[in-house]
Amino acid sequence: MSRNRLFPYPVLGDVCTMQVSEVRLDGVPLTVDMASDRNKMVALHHTERQGWEVARLAVRVHAPLSDLEAGPWQDVTCVAILSERRTNARTVTRLRREPDGSWAGAVLLERSRHLKRADLSAHLVATVEGVQGRMIGATQASWTVDLQASSADQPNTVEIVVVDFADVAYPHLNGYKTDPWMVDATGDEPTVYLNSRFDGLTKLLDSGERAARENLSAQIAADAWTALFNAAVYATDMSEEGRPEWPEGWRGSVMQKLLPDIFPELSPEDGLLELVSRRVDGEGGGELQSALMHAVTRQAAVPRRLGGFIRATNRKEGS
Amino acid sequence: MDTESFGDWLGRQLRRQGMSQAELATQINVTRAAVSAWVTNRAEPQMNKIQLIESVLGLSSGSVVSRQEPGTSAEALTWYHRPAHDDGGREFGNAAAFAFDSDLSVLAREATQNSMDERLENDEPVRVRHILDEIEGERLYDFLEALRWNEIEPHVDAAALADNKVGRILADGLKGLRQTGRLLLLRIDDYNAAGLTGPDYDDGRFAAVTRRQLESRKQGEGAGGSYGLGKATFWATSRLGFVLINSTLSEPHQGRTANRMFGRLELPWHRAVGGEWSGPAWFGEPDPERGNVTRSWWGDDETAERLLLKRDGSAPGTSFLIIGAHDPSGDADDLESMHEALVKGLASSFWAAMVAPSQQRPMLEASVVARRNGVVVIPEERIDPDVHEPTRSRALRAFLEGRTVSEPTTRDDVVQVSVPLQVPPLKSAGKAPAVTHDAVLLLAQDDTTPRRPSRLVCMRSSRMVVMDRGVPDLPIGVDPFQAVLLAGEAVGVDAPGAKEAEQFLRTAEPPEHNDWKRTDDLVTSYARGAASSIRNFRAAMLEEVRRALRPSEQQNGDGPASLTGLLDLGGSRSQGGGLRYPVVDDVEGNIDADGAWHVRAEVRLPAKDDAWLLTPVLRFATRSGPKPEARWAQLVPESHCELTAEGALLFAAGARKAAFSGISDVSSHPVAARMAIAEIDLQHVKESAE
Repeated sequence: MSRNRLFPYPVLGDVCTMQVSEVRLDGVPLTVDMASDRNKMVALHHTERQGWEVARLAVRVHAPLSDLEAGPWQDVTCVAILSERRTNARTVTRLRREPDGSWAGAVLLERSRHLKRADLSAHLVATVEGVQGRMIGATQASWTVDLQASSADQPNTVEIVVVDFADVAYPHLNGYKTDPWMVDATGDEPTVYLNSRFDGLTKLLDSGERAARENLSAQIAADAWTALFNAAVYATDMSEEGRPEWPEGWRGSVMQKLLPDIFPELSPEDGLLELVSRRVDGEGGGELQSALMHAVTRQAAVPRRLGGFIRATNRKEGS
Repeated sequence: MDTESFGDWLGRQLRRQGMSQAELATQINVTRAAVSAWVTNRAEPQMNKIQLIESVLGLSSGSVVSRQEPGTSAEALTWYHRPAHDDGGREFGNAAAFAFDSDLSVLAREATQNSMDERLENDEPVRVRHILDEIEGERLYDFLEALRWNEIEPHVDAAALADNKVGRILADGLKGLRQTGRLLLLRIDDYNAAGLTGPDYDDGRFAAVTRRQLESRKQGEGAGGSYGLGKATFWATSRLGFVLINSTLSEPHQGRTANRMFGRLELPWHRAVGGEWSGPAWFGEPDPERGNVTRSWWGDDETAERLLLKRDGSAPGTSFLIIGAHDPSGDADDLESMHEALVKGLASSFWAAMVAPSQQRPMLEASVVARRNGVVVIPEERIDPDVHEPTRSRALRAFLEGRTVSEPTTRDDVVQVSVPLQVPPLKSAGKAPAVTHDAVLLLAQDDTTPRRPSRLVCMRSSRMVVMDRGVPDLPIGVDPFQAVLLAGEAVGVDAPGAKEAEQFLRTAEPPEHNDWKRTDDLVTSYARGAASSIRNFRAAMLEEVRRALRPSEQQNGDGPASLTGLLDLGGSRSQGGGLRYPVVDDVEGNIDADGAWHVRAEVRLPAKDDAWLLTPVLRFATRSGPKPEARWAQLVPESHCELTAEGALLFAAGARKAAFSGISDVSSHPVAARMAIAEIDLQHVKESAE
């Protein structure tokens, strides 16, 4: 557990590991690539099974048994917790003890209670110094159960869509049909649109020379991060206590990614506070824009990729 | 049991005792012709004559009926040294022993491969037992006496003078024995195997192992070995070039099965005890029919015991005792590391042969034990494939039990796909068509710790690991896995093309049996295209691994890879690459009788020329939403910081560490301290423009 935490009783810490070994949608198993141990992610979107109601996740939790046995805890149990902030859903499933000392069980995810992305973690609970039901340990890293992802390999990235900007199916792009790309930071899922009618753009990105391809990608990514960040700033609110609250979903992720480079000497919490107070105070945004540009440039790897492009160009001219 | 004919038995007894037919005839008062008729099986004696024969030959009553004879006692044994060739030719080593780099895992591999090839056709496993024993003192003395060490010592000494690899190894072995007074023995037993059957000199298992070089008797289609090199590793593992053998036969020879014993010493050409010697020498019973040559003898239990070769029970099989055992590679030089090398070698080559479907016995059971002077120092370890190769064993067992799947739905599922192998016709078969064989490829997720590298191992019917390969160019982000390829009769004896593929792949193995590639034998035996067929097979198996591991579909058209990598929203940057702002590094605290937190916090600070102004905040952790804050009743700076009038802490410029303590104000607690987790943060204080 974080080093700044205080426990009024002895705890084991964030030392558990959790595995999702099987996922079933309405009883039918999903292929194993829909759950990735590496990414700690389960993807539940399956084109052929859109109408599912219950996902069943088989989980197993391991804790360091020798430490557990040596400690002053009684009636140790393990529960899996499935929660989603968006819907305020929280499901606690008690796991059973296996002969090898691990805990296992099936967590049921009811689709009607979730919207996008649920968090799955586990807690060890025990009776400590006569008090029942105290949390004494938890998983090091929680799993993400993504209802809209179709693969567990690419967790949480901005969607990239190649379309003809003149296509009537995308009326919001029709006004920009001469632009090479456009970032849509309005909805639940931010999207980078690449214009297929922009001659040579997708070809360059897919199969162009490496240095050119990477340099162009960095430019697009820098535009995307800037747009996403600005959208996220507007979505950040103050709580009643006067502390800023992290925006939900991708907006929060964008903040977490960029704030450390925008305010390098502030903790993320302080950085968020600083950002919101500058916006509220109406303090000059110029300084912030420079800091944002720096953060975005780093995030999009512009220096490295532009450098590579310049070196490649020089080599070509030299030869 | 096939009993020997009376005539053959009687003839042998007379030869053993050096008694002529005429002498016997005189002693039992019959004509010489009568004895001759018995020996040539034209007639059998009457009961009263049989009793006389037994008494004249010094045998116990009933010996004739059971065709028994006394075991040869140690006193009757002797050494036969092959004289040097008359043409002056000299051999300075056994070429077979130099054919491949030897070490203990190679020995374990070759010996066990031989044992498996000789496994009896029943449902029992062949049991292989490795016993390391370091002997000294009286036990060593008695052992050397039993094998007539004084008769061979001058030969070994002379051979050790040779200034070459073999000579140096011998010199080293002698030096070790004389300086330490200890001798390391490695005994390799197999049970439920054929044993060394057949005559002493003519074709058979016995002669192949003890008298011939480079003869492979592996006619079986499924045999692992095929070069006849394996036995050379026994002698290569002995520093003295000395191996003793005791075999229990599966088919009687001379009417007997138990304790067929023999010894062979493998020396280079040398000059000793007044003669020139070709090198090899055999320890056994003198064969009066062949001059001074020795032959195998039927040992009594006492001799077997003295030669440390007494076998457990009556199950057929062979025990090889390697005298002066060492690791030819020099990697393992004591009992413990040799034990480990044997266990490792057996496990990595034969784990698959030790895996059985539930309720069935495996093909092979193997164990290793180490002793000093007969006292166990490392208890017998039966090699458990699930311990040494858990993931691969799981994969193979799933296949044997028919539980594999084509699309995995749990992490425990084993995926089975097929890899085609085109077997071209044999040249001798004329214009026959090529046969297609589908090898089985098994893939299992590897969840074991510590992580092993993801690899592909290949085998055929003997289930000995032939190839162990890495899989290059895997899709990014693939979880660790293990892959097992079963080819030929490992797929099933009746699988299409299994027989042809088995033979084809065996031909494609080099002497080490550790690869499938273009061998000379392959291109001479098979029609055109054999080499490319092997090449294609090697490439296809890797391609199938990659294909099976590739994510099933890419429906969302992820966009160009160079761009997606830059747009990852997951994870936040930790304070990696140097501390950028002060953090609470460690806290400790307790709750007093009033319910207030008494805490002490240590702070780590990044190097900076200015001072840091920060407010310590005590918060109560909540599941979600803002965390309620408590006020401080008291805040005490301890090191490298001071308290400001506003209740913040000013951390000294340049300091890297600081500490403070505090007591919370109970009246500001949202919940009883005892019931909640708390945390301490440092909040940046915005310096107001003064």
